[in-house]
Amino acid sequence: MTQSDKSANVGAATEPRPAHRAVRTGSDGSHWIEGLRCEDCGAFVADAALACRRCASRKPLVAVRSTGTGKLYSWTVIHRSYPGIAVPFVSAIVDLDSGMTLKGTLRDVDMASLRPGLPVRVVFDDAGGARDSQGAPYVGFHFVPGED
Amino acid sequence: MPEVYIAGADMIRFGRHPDRSPFQLAAEASLLALDDCGMSILDIEAVFAGSTFNSASMVAQRMLQLIGQTGVPCVNVSNACAAGATAVRQAILAIKSGEYDVVLAVGAEKNPRGLLASPPSDGPPAEGLFGSISTPAIFAEAGMIHANRFGTTIEQFAQVAVKNHHHSTMNPKAAYQIETPLEEVLASEMIAWPLTKLMCSPNVDGAAAVVLVSEKKARELGLGRAVRIRGSALMSDPFEARSPEMFDPNSVTRLAAAKAYEMAGLGPEDLDLAELHDCFATAEILHYENLGLCGEGEAGRLIDSGETALGGRLPVNVSGGLLAKGHPIGATGVANIVELVYHLRGEAGARQVEGAKIGLAHVLGFATVSACGVHILEKA
Repeated sequence: MTQSDKSANVGAATEPRPAHRAVRTGSDGSHWIEGLRCEDCGAFVADAALACRRCASRKPLVAVRSTGTGKLYSWTVIHRSYPGIAVPFVSAIVDLDSGMTLKGTLRDVDMASLRPGLPVRVVFDDAGGARDSQGAPYVGFHFVPGED
Repeated sequence: MPEVYIAGADMIRFGRHPDRSPFQLAAEASLLALDDCGMSILDIEAVFAGSTFNSASMVAQRMLQLIGQTGVPCVNVSNACAAGATAVRQAILAIKSGEYDVVLAVGAEKNPRGLLASPPSDGPPAEGLFGSISTPAIFAEAGMIHANRFGTTIEQFAQVAVKNHHHSTMNPKAAYQIETPLEEVLASEMIAWPLTKLMCSPNVDGAAAVVLVSEKKARELGLGRAVRIRGSALMSDPFEARSPEMFDPNSVTRLAAAKAYEMAGLGPEDLDLAELHDCFATAEILHYENLGLCGEGEAGRLIDSGETALGGRLPVNVSGGLLAKGHPIGATGVANIVELVYHLRGEAGARQVEGAKIGLAHVLGFATVSACGVHILEKA
């Protein structure tokens, strides 16, 4: 693909694509985090599956929309990453209040305040400005401290 | 149930081997193991080869191309860091089936360089955007759960590296054989809090092999240096609500340990030594509890007590562990069994665990999902 082709596609494909499997976009352009729940055993999972991976029920998993708030479960501060990735950053494991666990980057946080149970919320972002091969933007998310 | 014995066991020194293929590494380790019990490749009735990054190229057959193409069945196993233990276990089962009397299990790996990670998915690379997918990050996060629940300190995690590096100075086959005092471990480059560089296993190449035999064959050879398989378990990760976002090294290890102890009719109190999967210093702390070497929340105190150092009540990773011996992924699960064999025979040299009769080897492989192998061996 030549440079001019790329530029042409940027204009053609503006619908943002999810940069993470849990991100959903509505027809009004709003974004939310969505998980799946087993109607038989109540297990929450982030990934679509042919049956519940906890109880093996084949009843279709139902979508559950997250309010985007949660609590910090575990974390690490990354000081060495792959080439080209800016460090340091906080890799956080968050239990969403709606019942699913997500890993994400926790930004704008005072490192000294990190503790289990710290309230955090989801903020949608442009996934670092990434574009797909057709030039379409992505929508990603990160966490920030706070209830709402 | 028919008994299975280890007749021959050995490994090459772990380290960087840029001039040799994984098949050559496998061949060298296999010849060492065969020589160890005075056998030839012509005696081997089946080969099981564990290799995570090289299995697709049929390591077992490529190895036979280098040491003797006898036409025996070969099985090539990939199962993340549990590939080697899986190969050994399949070899044990092959003998138990009654079809074979002499089987070779080998683990060999040439690791890719740098930080290892799971394969990338669609979209922009997740690293940094959605936390970290690096293996140090995953074991740092798992360690932080322990730290948050029980107050485990970075010094306690670091002491694992101090101990295992100290052990490695007595193991001529370890990739690194250097003392690393606590201050040095804490001062080495911070990778993922609380893991510094010296608390992460080095990415090296290596191979290890064992010759497994039926009871009939073991008696023919003489039981003098034989080691008996008491327990052999392989389990996969059960459902965990936070998985795969939060890797859980605990439940799969507990499943496999319970299975192996049950099979052996033994408990952690019967062990004289353990080689466990210290891919990162935090992992050793978690596995003390997962393998029942101490009670819940007591792992920090156990490392502080010195009981898991050579000379202590239950020495752990006297080989230097993955932290110092190195971690050639598919070779690791065979190498920790080889280490037990050295000790149970009384042939471990300066690091010999005196009077060792029973040992446990544990490996944990993961790539968002996981596999855990636990073997319990006894001096015949």
